Amino acid sequence: MSAPSHAPEATDPVASDPGASAPGRSDADNRSLRQIAWQRLRRDKVAMVSGVVVVLLILAAIFAPLLAKWFGHPPTQFNQDLIDPSRRVPYLDPENPELGVDRWGGISSEHLLGVEPTTGRDLFSRILYGAQISLLVAFLATLVCVALGTVLGIIAGYMGGWVDTLISRSMDIFLAFPLMLFAIALVGVIPEGVLGLTGNGLRIGVIVFIIGFFNWPYIARIVRGQTLALREREFVEAAKSLGASNRHILFKEILPNLITPIIVYSTLLIPTNILFEAALSFLGVGINPPTPSWGKMLSEAVPFYQTAPYFIIFPGLAIFITVLAFNLFGDGLRDAFDPRTSD
Amino acid sequence: MLNYILRRLGAGLLLLAVVTAVTFWIFYVLPRWAGVTPHGMAAMYVGKAPTPEALDATVERLGLDQPIAVQFFEFVRTLLFGQEFTFGRETVECAAPCLGYSFTTNTPVLPQLLDRLPITLSLGLGAAVIWVIGGVAVGVLSAVKKGSIFDRLAMGTALIGVSLPIYFTGLLALAFLVHEWGLFPVSRYVPFTENPIAWFQVMILPWVTLAFLHAAQYARQTRAGMLETLNEDYIRTARAKGLSERKVIFKHALRPTLTPIVTILGLDIGMVLGGAILTETVFSLNGVGAYAINSIVSKDLPVVLGVTLLGAVFIVVCNLVVDLLYPLVDPRVRIAK
Amino acid sequence: MRKRTLGFVALGAAASLFLSACGGAATGGGSDSADTYDLGSTEVVNPSDATGGTLKYAIAGDFDSTDPANTYYAFNWNFSRYYARTLLAFNPEPGDNATDLIPDMAVDLPEPNEDFTEWTVKIQEGLKYEDGTEITAQDIKYGIARSNWNGGVFSEGPQYFKAHLDQADHNVYEGSDPLEGFDSIETPDDYTLVFKLKDSFSEFPNVLTQPQTAPVPIEADREALYQEKVVSSGPYKFDGEYEPGVKLHLERNEHWDGDTDPVRKALPDRIEVEIGVAQDEIDERLVSGEIDVDLSGTGVGPAMNARLLDDESVKGNLDNPYTGALRFVNIHLPIIDDVACRQAIMYAADRDSMWRAWGGAEGGDIATSLLPPAIPGSNTDSDLYPSEDNKGDLDKAKEKLEECGEGDGFKTNIAVRSEREKDVQTAEALQQSLERVGIDVEVKSFPSADFFGQYAGSQDYVRENNIGLSVSGWGPDWPTGYGFASKITHGDAIMETGNFNTAELDDPEVNGLWDEALKTEDPEERADLYTQIDTLVMENAAILPVVFDKALIYRSDELTNAYYQPAYMMYDFMALGVDRG
Repeated sequence: MSAPSHAPEATDPVASDPGASAPGRSDADNRSLRQIAWQRLRRDKVAMVSGVVVVLLILAAIFAPLLAKWFGHPPTQFNQDLIDPSRRVPYLDPENPELGVDRWGGISSEHLLGVEPTTGRDLFSRILYGAQISLLVAFLATLVCVALGTVLGIIAGYMGGWVDTLISRSMDIFLAFPLMLFAIALVGVIPEGVLGLTGNGLRIGVIVFIIGFFNWPYIARIVRGQTLALREREFVEAAKSLGASNRHILFKEILPNLITPIIVYSTLLIPTNILFEAALSFLGVGINPPTPSWGKMLSEAVPFYQTAPYFIIFPGLAIFITVLAFNLFGDGLRDAFDPRTSD
Repeated sequence: MLNYILRRLGAGLLLLAVVTAVTFWIFYVLPRWAGVTPHGMAAMYVGKAPTPEALDATVERLGLDQPIAVQFFEFVRTLLFGQEFTFGRETVECAAPCLGYSFTTNTPVLPQLLDRLPITLSLGLGAAVIWVIGGVAVGVLSAVKKGSIFDRLAMGTALIGVSLPIYFTGLLALAFLVHEWGLFPVSRYVPFTENPIAWFQVMILPWVTLAFLHAAQYARQTRAGMLETLNEDYIRTARAKGLSERKVIFKHALRPTLTPIVTILGLDIGMVLGGAILTETVFSLNGVGAYAINSIVSKDLPVVLGVTLLGAVFIVVCNLVVDLLYPLVDPRVRIAK
Repeated sequence: MRKRTLGFVALGAAASLFLSACGGAATGGGSDSADTYDLGSTEVVNPSDATGGTLKYAIAGDFDSTDPANTYYAFNWNFSRYYARTLLAFNPEPGDNATDLIPDMAVDLPEPNEDFTEWTVKIQEGLKYEDGTEITAQDIKYGIARSNWNGGVFSEGPQYFKAHLDQADHNVYEGSDPLEGFDSIETPDDYTLVFKLKDSFSEFPNVLTQPQTAPVPIEADREALYQEKVVSSGPYKFDGEYEPGVKLHLERNEHWDGDTDPVRKALPDRIEVEIGVAQDEIDERLVSGEIDVDLSGTGVGPAMNARLLDDESVKGNLDNPYTGALRFVNIHLPIIDDVACRQAIMYAADRDSMWRAWGGAEGGDIATSLLPPAIPGSNTDSDLYPSEDNKGDLDKAKEKLEECGEGDGFKTNIAVRSEREKDVQTAEALQQSLERVGIDVEVKSFPSADFFGQYAGSQDYVRENNIGLSVSGWGPDWPTGYGFASKITHGDAIMETGNFNTAELDDPEVNGLWDEALKTEDPEERADLYTQIDTLVMENAAILPVVFDKALIYRSDELTNAYYQPAYMMYDFMALGVDRG
């Protein structure tokens, strides 16, 4: 898997058909378009459910410390009395070690999803806290992608000529980089204390930077295409003939019309970025231990896949559910804004 | 036509040059900015006895204290024109394209890369065959039976597919299909030329896992394209002419639908090396991806440069091939534009 | 797995038939496989003189180099003896005498002068390379010279010769005569070597067991490329080239004469090594009989580990010897400079919790002292920082914190190699246990490759980033106190980068004892000195011992003469044969 293969396809309806997605109307028109989209979205059960899941996930991540406290197991607290030291997996019954070990994870009313091998840390808390890292990195990285992609895409589309050529060619170049390799290498190379960041702050910063810096072309391509189409439309022409400055046209006339596709595509970029962060953690270049992250939890499960396969399942499901929810919601969003979808 | 190809080749070469320069910058310049001294770098290649003399000698041998520009120039010159390497009283010719010698194993990089390439290609191309055939077939069926249960199921599965990372599905497959239920053998990679059946047995699981991830995207893409094409006037005309539905779909509708698919396929195959890192890690395949990870972990810079360059070459070549295939797939595209 | 179990049952059945026929009491079905559990650690299992067959090794990593001059891995030193004879060797038998020195190419053990600064050794006449030419003292001298005086091309191997021989700057690859000016080793005739040292070095003969003493013909030396095809002096020679990451095959060397060689049995006809095989796969194929030995000697991976422990039928195929290594945490003196603060860490550490990271009983013993059990002078019962169930003594720890003026605890960082799962868990466990007394530790993980070069072993980095602790491990270069611990506790071993005395312990008393040991002839007196050093290091609280780790090794039924050689921390590869009958 590689990041680009999940990125929104350039041929998707909202992007390929900018004229039809009705930019260029007055603000009032836009508002009504959004109202229509909202009505459509509300009728899309799948999108609504996934939207709720997304909101719940975000809340869970934000309130992870409270939830973990409520369930009584901080994510870094060891519970080694539950673990057979030789086999390193949980006992079937910690009171009676002679009964052997539990292949399915030490799940109990105390530990809802069981406990980690060796350390006996509570999996439920760790997965909750893992959501923090996962979502934080994905949101920040998407933000960087969107910021870079929008600015460069608009400039390329609006200015045209050699500026467009330059930006478009650099998009090709950026997409040709073996992103995963660079990411792994960079995390190891950046020294502590750069920009005043240390420890996990630095790791998060580096990962966000890498994803954002190398993935902006996906957004830029879409924005450029839209700008290209908008540039020729009468309301822009009108503004130009009235002597509006380039800045005014770019930010007051064109940008507002780009917001919808940008929102839609950033929603679809988030799951890609979640997967990327998890992949890095899986390969061992993510967050410092003992801070939990889903990818790291999966790689820690690898040695136990024969004796305790349960340990793969929960972190894997956490990634899967989060990514799926964002994908479904993004899909619904796109359909809702796509004028060609029949009502 | 020739002019076009030359122009594309030129752009490709430029891209390779930029990728090389940036890779070099990341691995050679960035550490210096970060305050790592040439001796600090040398310490990575000196074993358990990093005496000052050994560090000096290593810095000297690897040229780590040279200005970056000189090191870069040397790398490019070696790549383009080959280089003679001296080992004691012996000189060994490394012909262009020469990627130099590994810092850690003292073996030439290119042959090592080429040794591992078949594994990665087996993985990527085999999976691509599955995901293209599977994805397109499901996509066409879904489009034709739009709104049916099959369509919904297929599209649902497709969304699930893109949301399942290989380091989850791969591990699940290993844990259950291989270990728990013993449906697949635990065995190591066997070259196709040695034993095609064993090769197939080893590769099938990685193929399917990798393909599942990609097939989803192809199915969605095909379905969307197909639906769009089926609304076109010429399809209506074809139907009006009384052509059989099968003929309409396969002779008229499928072709234009495949055009964007070819583009994506080109990009995806270009990314095979990048994608191989995770798949090879999960399935313990000793291919280029695994080699890349090992070289990064051991900071074996010539190998890192070699792998990145090979990856970029792959992307460039695939893009070129896609551009050239375009007119064949879609008669509407003419290069003359 | 299944195949193995069947084979074993069949064997057991045959055995009981035989017993019945002799009128012995049948013990009832099944095999008493548990009888042979860990037998290889102390005895020769399955002794045999049968020759023939192919002995198959596999390894997840790779050789650091096949060149005897350029290697530091224990398994590699063990293995290289197939094709590289050394001056001296370790006694090829299990048990207490396994680390005694015996001559290999030498006629007898080396003779020192009275202050251990000059050593003379004679080699046997008529020893031959794989091409039939005779091995001379000059070839051995050249082998040693190129291993340590090469302009830095061989960076993996140890540098004991350079540290101890009285030799001016030299580089064998410069000038027309590689040995011109290399006079710290004299060769008065073709069969005598005289080593001239800078200082007294009573343990010098141990260095002469190292692969760097293997002979190398000057004209065959191809510097870094020599590893592709080493010229053999042992019972096997390279069959084709060594291919890093892929394979190494050895075939018999007809010019080797078993009568000259007290160390090598040379039973198999061929030796094959598969390189870069995933650990799980090695384990799987080891148990199914497709592979005979895991070359690395680090034991089976965690997946197979748990499976084997639960399978009574294979219990007899398991050995659980010490790997010879100590896993420990460095407490960096320049960062945590008050000894009481360091002792607080020693008291507060939950050793039981850290021991669990290493896999419990089969993973190793809780360590409370410096020297591992196999080392003469080790005193593994001593514990200066005792606590109930090894869970840590928090009251004592708090007292010590008060004593160093940090009653509320302090903040520091622990450096750890990110790829090493057990190291990471050790750090996490220590973090948890120190939190109990208010010592706030942040875990910092770094890539293994530059861990000592740029992070934990870089003095600047440690100081600039408040790295007070680091997780490490160390195995002996040879099985004595000096061979084990001098590099990690002698003040002279402190380096600016690549520093393995990571705690930066530079204690005059400890240094003095090390120097004294090198002037002491009697091994037992030396062992006493090493015991004192052990105690001093513990009092200084420079090193927090975690475990003396053990490997769980699967011993294939086809393997003959398997016994554990503590000097190489693995089976003695030279004794192994295969019997697939």
